[in-house]
Amino acid sequence: MAITCEQLTQLSADLYEWSLKKIPEDTKAALRAALPHESNSTGRQTLTIMLKSADAAERTGGLVCSDVGIPTYSVKIGTQVQFEGPVRQAFVDGFARMAARCNPPILQMVTNPLTHQRSHAGKDMPIVSFDVIDGANYVDITCAPKAMGTGRWEAAEIFVYPSLQAIEDFVLKTVLTSGSQACPPIVVGVGIGGTFDHAARIAKDAVLRPFGEQNPEPLLAEMEARLLKTINELGFGPMGTGGNTTAMAVHVNYSASHGFVPVAVSLNCWINRRTRARIHGDGRVERLE
Amino acid sequence: MKLLTLPLARAEVENLELGEMVLISGQATMSIGLPTHQRMVAHLDAGTPLPMDLRDGAFFHLSCFNRERPDGSHEALYLNPTTSTRYNAYMPRLIEGCGLRLVGGKGGLDEASVQALQRQGCVYLSFLGGGCTLLSQAIRSVVAVHWADTIAQFRLLTLELSELGPATVAIDAHGHSLYQTLHAQAARRLQARFEDHDPTP
Repeated sequence: MAITCEQLTQLSADLYEWSLKKIPEDTKAALRAALPHESNSTGRQTLTIMLKSADAAERTGGLVCSDVGIPTYSVKIGTQVQFEGPVRQAFVDGFARMAARCNPPILQMVTNPLTHQRSHAGKDMPIVSFDVIDGANYVDITCAPKAMGTGRWEAAEIFVYPSLQAIEDFVLKTVLTSGSQACPPIVVGVGIGGTFDHAARIAKDAVLRPFGEQNPEPLLAEMEARLLKTINELGFGPMGTGGNTTAMAVHVNYSASHGFVPVAVSLNCWINRRTRARIHGDGRVERLE
Repeated sequence: MKLLTLPLARAEVENLELGEMVLISGQATMSIGLPTHQRMVAHLDAGTPLPMDLRDGAFFHLSCFNRERPDGSHEALYLNPTTSTRYNAYMPRLIEGCGLRLVGGKGGLDEASVQALQRQGCVYLSFLGGGCTLLSQAIRSVVAVHWADTIAQFRLLTLELSELGPATVAIDAHGHSLYQTLHAQAARRLQARFEDHDPTP
């Protein structure tokens, strides 16, 4: 039995729409957990309004944020899976279906970088990355639309034999620059090593890691804790109007590299848009979040 | 929570304190188009009137889905703030040139705008990013849609609102900006850390 093009089209449309209307459960829990520890009264009120906003969108099928971003998908394909029909085109069709059918309708956010023309489609849209899972008979798809609120502040730099402290300083400078503007409390994903493009990829993977998963690399687990503590001491707070809840999580990934070490910092805002589903080889769809 | 009903007198906004949360009722104009800001400034520079009088009113960086109904009237389905700093170059001119009392969006404005807000008697309000469904409950009706030749969120749109918010007073009318204070504080804290070590390996 094969996974059909129609199944991929519908699921990619659904994943995008779901991501706009519901924030992940771990993110709601993190906002709730931050409330009693938030020292600033405006910050506490803002956290409370955030939870109300997320709840209102989820209950009514409304959008959490009007900036629906540009859709990005990370697709991991089990090597046992059979497809019936084109795969890449299914995602293009899924975006078109979602843009045509979403209720409420979405604003045009896809922008031609050369002419600034806006649309619901464009060259290389949606952005889809493919990887394989050896031996698996399913496809895992993560959808994480990206908008300007955080997309504008992400950064990468190439170091040569950097100390851990130099890497952390770069992360902190990036967070300082984004400051009040990235809709904190943010999620910070860091990619260290590999090549320029790979560091950005693993930084994005780090942003999308569910909260509470222990980093298996002790050096990085310690770095994550240090960075989270330092960022929350900066004082930007919820929506950047003051407080000690500036980040919900810092996740760091690494890959082996040459002596040159790219470091990429990816950010998500407090609504932390992220949905995942698995299509099994027999066509069964399982929504993971 | 204080309710601000537009239009507002200078004294009303001068009484607002940093960090205070407010609700807004009345007619407010919005757009998130950079070309729209440029067009507004061009009108002010040329001395030609804008399509609406914004004196003592509000101009917000709120992105709004609006469309024409089959009968020719307009509806606004939802709104939500965007980052204001990308309009830094235009805001001082608009704040004073239009005689505004409220501006807002999210993320704040730069020093030139802080000074313009003080001279004019106007405050900057921080709306909740990701507050779309919640904030949109305030939409009552579409008062006017201007420059409809652009995409929906770039139009110059005036809505009738009831208790939009809550929004935080983040830059007051006396030259105080939460953004500047918080950024300076964060930069100081990090500078102390950076000075503690030689960043060169």
